Amino acid sequence: MAETRTKTIVVTRFDPDRDEAPRLQRYEIPVQDDWKVLDALNYIKDEVDGTLSHRWSCRMAVCGSCGMNVNGSPKLTCKDPLSDYGDTVEVTPLPNFPVIRDLVVEIEGFMERLQKVKPWIVRAKELAVEAGPTRQSPAELDDFRQFSMCINCMLCYAACPVIANEPDFLGPAAIALGHRYNLDTRDQGQKERNRVFREDGGIFSCSYANECSEVCPKHVDPSGAIQQAKLANVIDWVKGLVLERGGAR
Amino acid sequence: MSHARPVLDAMKPSRPAPTRMAPPRKPDGFPNAGRYRAYLAFGFGGFFLLTMSLLVLRAVWALGNGEAAWRRVATSFQNPLYVIYHALAFLWLSWFILRLFRLFPATQPRRLGPIRRPPDALLVAGLSGAFVVVTFVVAAMLWGAS
Repeated sequence: MAETRTKTIVVTRFDPDRDEAPRLQRYEIPVQDDWKVLDALNYIKDEVDGTLSHRWSCRMAVCGSCGMNVNGSPKLTCKDPLSDYGDTVEVTPLPNFPVIRDLVVEIEGFMERLQKVKPWIVRAKELAVEAGPTRQSPAELDDFRQFSMCINCMLCYAACPVIANEPDFLGPAAIALGHRYNLDTRDQGQKERNRVFREDGGIFSCSYANECSEVCPKHVDPSGAIQQAKLANVIDWVKGLVLERGGAR
Repeated sequence: MSHARPVLDAMKPSRPAPTRMAPPRKPDGFPNAGRYRAYLAFGFGGFFLLTMSLLVLRAVWALGNGEAAWRRVATSFQNPLYVIYHALAFLWLSWFILRLFRLFPATQPRRLGPIRRPPDALLVAGLSGAFVVVTFVVAAMLWGAS
């Protein structure tokens, strides 16, 4: 049985029907040493204050729902041990996102960015089922495997200083996922994605602060993906000057 | 955390939301926190790029106006303020280059055609070594020219 002690959890509260602006509320709760930050929030919700709103689902760092700001840093709360913090832990909604209620942020802006880069396999012509599976070698898979680990938790957007200053920036996760499909040998949508990448607010808005990669809970390294996308786009642009049909698929 | 921090216009959807929302806040500690130093230093480097470009233009302009004009410009660069400026610019460039080298391996694709990317440590060591050698060679050439 894990040891139990008391911690103060300071949580952002915001009810759009009643509150003019978000405010902070303190909860003193008994916690166990093996708890994650999400366990503390769930305890508050279940035992202390049922009006607290926060997102969570899988509790195993897969769904990407429970991203929040813990003591000033974007964290996946189901993966973030409560024991890493002192007696007071401050949990606030992810920065750089509008807040719907308490710790729940508006993700529609993120979804729009994600859709822009078409994070799925684009084929000029679908292959017939009779043609059999499209084969891919382990080396080809290795080219993009790291970037396919993204769980869309949006911590990278919360940490990105460029998002804070240039609201139109496409952002780390969307670019990393777009680049992931550009690297996929089965995909034929590079041209469409590169067009989006090169627009205002695209890959060249990134100044390589690297904060996105620092906070990524799945070690996707979005900033590395963005720089790779920059290099690939420059090469593609040069090829376009030299070759009639350009370089991208 | 203070909710009085500046708000911004980030990540909002293109269509109006069905409920009223609190505006986004800037990340905690932005821009003073240590983790944003690299971002700020990178942005500040624009000052050196701009002013250094102007100085190069000035030198090239003088070069076109004969030897006397060139010598005047070269002498003016010996002013202590210019020396301090160049030392600061060199410090910034060194920081920028070494940081870029450290981050460089991640910016490269895992394979270049059939060739696999060399180990990260090898890439960083190679680039840093080349930077040091080139810096010393250029410094020696300039020393000899002066």
